[in-house]
Amino acid sequence: MTNAAQYLFNGLVTGGILALPAVAFSVLWKLLRFPNFAVGAYLTIGAFAALAVNHGLGRGIEWAWLCALAVTGTVAWAVDRVVFHPMRDRRPFALAIASIGVTFFLENTVRFIWGNDYRSYDVPVTRALVWQGLRIGREQLMILGVTVLLVVLVQAFLGWTRLGVAMRATANNPLLARVKGLPTERIVGVATLGGGALAGGAGVFLGLDTTIDPLLGSGLIIAVFAAAILGGIGSAPGALLGALIVGVMEETSTLVIPPTYKSAVGFAIILAVLLVRPQGLAGGRP
Amino acid sequence: MIGYLVAIATLVGIRALLTLGLNVQWGLTGLVNLGVVAFFAIGAYTSGLLAVSGVALPLAWTAALVASGVAGAALALAALRLREDYLAIVTLGFGEVLRLFLLNEAWLTRGANGITGIPRPLHAWFPAHYDLFYLGLVGLAVGTVYLLLERVSISPFGRVLRAIREDETVAAVAGKAVVRFKVQAFVIGAVVAGLAGVFFGHYLAYVEPNMFLPQETLFVWLALILGGSGNNRGAIVGAVLLLGLLEGSRFAKDLIPFLTGVRLAAAQQMLVGVLLVVLMIRRPEGLLPER
Repeated sequence: MTNAAQYLFNGLVTGGILALPAVAFSVLWKLLRFPNFAVGAYLTIGAFAALAVNHGLGRGIEWAWLCALAVTGTVAWAVDRVVFHPMRDRRPFALAIASIGVTFFLENTVRFIWGNDYRSYDVPVTRALVWQGLRIGREQLMILGVTVLLVVLVQAFLGWTRLGVAMRATANNPLLARVKGLPTERIVGVATLGGGALAGGAGVFLGLDTTIDPLLGSGLIIAVFAAAILGGIGSAPGALLGALIVGVMEETSTLVIPPTYKSAVGFAIILAVLLVRPQGLAGGRP
Repeated sequence: MIGYLVAIATLVGIRALLTLGLNVQWGLTGLVNLGVVAFFAIGAYTSGLLAVSGVALPLAWTAALVASGVAGAALALAALRLREDYLAIVTLGFGEVLRLFLLNEAWLTRGANGITGIPRPLHAWFPAHYDLFYLGLVGLAVGTVYLLLERVSISPFGRVLRAIREDETVAAVAGKAVVRFKVQAFVIGAVVAGLAGVFFGHYLAYVEPNMFLPQETLFVWLALILGGSGNNRGAIVGAVLLLGLLEGSRFAKDLIPFLTGVRLAAAQQMLVGVLLVVLMIRRPEGLLPER
């Protein structure tokens, strides 16, 4: 029983790490109408930006995390201006292909600078809490807490601020939004900046929970897609819920199937959602 | 040197087949296949496994083409029936899961060791210049597939595919069964990729899972966009240019001394990424635009 509870908890942590990029991917898909594959590379950029601050400047992981948010947000914004902005009126799939080129470029830039080695952050070693036989790492609790807080903030922003409402309006009908005089380009800018920052922050979490290497982000991409699709495209709480479900299913699947197939769970979930409930849990359509 | 050129030309031919296959899917019909490498692998593995267990080569080849086509049909039906925008994600996931399968199901695929000793067709007939003969075979295949796909492209069927690409609502209103045409186009592309896999496996006489990494799919895309999507001749030209680019950057190592192995590989792939992005923005029609 304890064993199963441990798998469940680890699954929730995995899901917590998936949640932020899933929210970013989902909201950006709805807004810009193409699946942005570069979200995986943004995780890697975030993890390595934090590594540079943590190792290079010797600052604590909190500072490193904040810097990762800023760096990744800026990179995502710059990518949008340079690559996606000139392509706004093209077929959505042309943008998806360009985003794969972006992923390849960003990942290999990281590899060019840091090489292929596995690295980890300099963080003080803390003893895991043990509660009724369940091992709970302090970092894991922090990851879950910060993630839930950030998703609540995103949802509050989309629901209650003028800019957030304008963003949803643009996502629903870009032409109408423009006709009504909404600054759609500025809205897209804010969304990509925020989405990039969320993914970058999750990259640091992933680096804390496992190890850091240039393929860190793209190893997770199928699970991120699965979480967003399961949650329903465009819905932030849906993406959080989807991510937690995908995380728990990945971890508990190792009780039944060989752990080498863990990353196939996301693919199975995508197929299942596609065949049974294509609109996802929250019922969104891109 | 001649041996090197023959080997390069053979690989160009195999890449040209992959690019021609993707051209039916993306160039003609506008379907995003991010799992090109999966169909390549299915072709290579099916034919290789059957051939080493003693099945006659023509039978093994046919089985490989059928297997690629069936896999293509299943994926396309699952993704296209409901939501076209899922196809990119489903095919990407399929490629990854298939590689996991090849690595882990050693009872069937021999796992990380790969398949060795795949027989080379008619090897006894041409003991002296076998590589040249094989190049001829690959060239013949590229030529045949090119001619067939040119026929497809100008046929009424090809016109429907282009109509779907430009505006599928209009095609549907005109009474075309859009999903059926899309699935057929996807299957044709998958079979051609499977054929490339067959030639690849029997050429190297050896296949293993890490030959089928996701980056191979990206190379095929770059070749197609570079050469000109929608144009079969462009697809072949793109494959030639891409291999020139990949092989050429190998020589850059001697010219730029501080590049280590990892950095060289990274720089090469950065270049591939940038080139793909720049082409998509600046010249999406490629060198040889669609006529």
